[in-house]
Amino acid sequence: MSDRQRGDAPALAPAPRAQAGPAPRWREDFPVPWAADHYVTRRELAKFLTLGSALLAAANGVIAAVGRWGRRAPPASRTVITKASAVPAGGSLLFRYPTADDPCILVRGDDGVLRAFSQVCTHLSCAVVHRADRDELFCPCHHGVFSATDGRPIAGPPTRRLPVIRIDQHDDDVVAIGKEP
Amino acid sequence: MDTTARGTALMTAICAFVGFIVIIQLWLVSAALDALLSGDRTVLAPAAVASLVLALVNGGLLLHALHFDRAVRRAAR
Repeated sequence: MSDRQRGDAPALAPAPRAQAGPAPRWREDFPVPWAADHYVTRRELAKFLTLGSALLAAANGVIAAVGRWGRRAPPASRTVITKASAVPAGGSLLFRYPTADDPCILVRGDDGVLRAFSQVCTHLSCAVVHRADRDELFCPCHHGVFSATDGRPIAGPPTRRLPVIRIDQHDDDVVAIGKEP
Repeated sequence: MDTTARGTALMTAICAFVGFIVIIQLWLVSAALDALLSGDRTVLAPAAVASLVLALVNGGLLLHALHFDRAVRRAAR
């Protein structure tokens, strides 16, 4: 037996007809009174919220399962990016690491140190570019700004830092040796 | 306070509390997703356990309310 049939809902009589005679066509098509259609008891609301709560718990479980058994980043490989002398102070170079689908950017800061980051903005995945005059990485889509020193977001909508590409230098070769999330 | 008023207050309080817990669970889902995407997998299991506990609390509250409701209706007959 439903809650309404038990009598705890207010009496919801059908709307009075405007005039005697046969019911208009629209009322035959929609016989449920408007008020009854929108009436939700606290009991129904609590059941609905509890169902939503269970679904959210399941979603959290799925996220945890993906984190536990999902695809992980491929093991780090060593890839020669370029010659160190090819990147002047304030300059930058685009490369792909660890796969051809992962755009990255190598920058040489004002201090002369080479650093590499993923080029994919952590906001909505646009490609960031190097702004040498401010020594920062700029996303032109929504004006997100990241530090070119450590990749952390310093302005705009991004909240997560850019993944750092670990690099090593052998003689004049700049070698990518891993990616930090 | 008569039984009907107690029942009304109980259901209202439970609805408010369950809604509050659902909001916390929404935050947990978004935080867990953010952590997963940023590669921090250490918080995922605790978030899932916390969300499960909150869902069980919600279920317990709902069962309590329904049990109370059933008892009141049985007594009224």
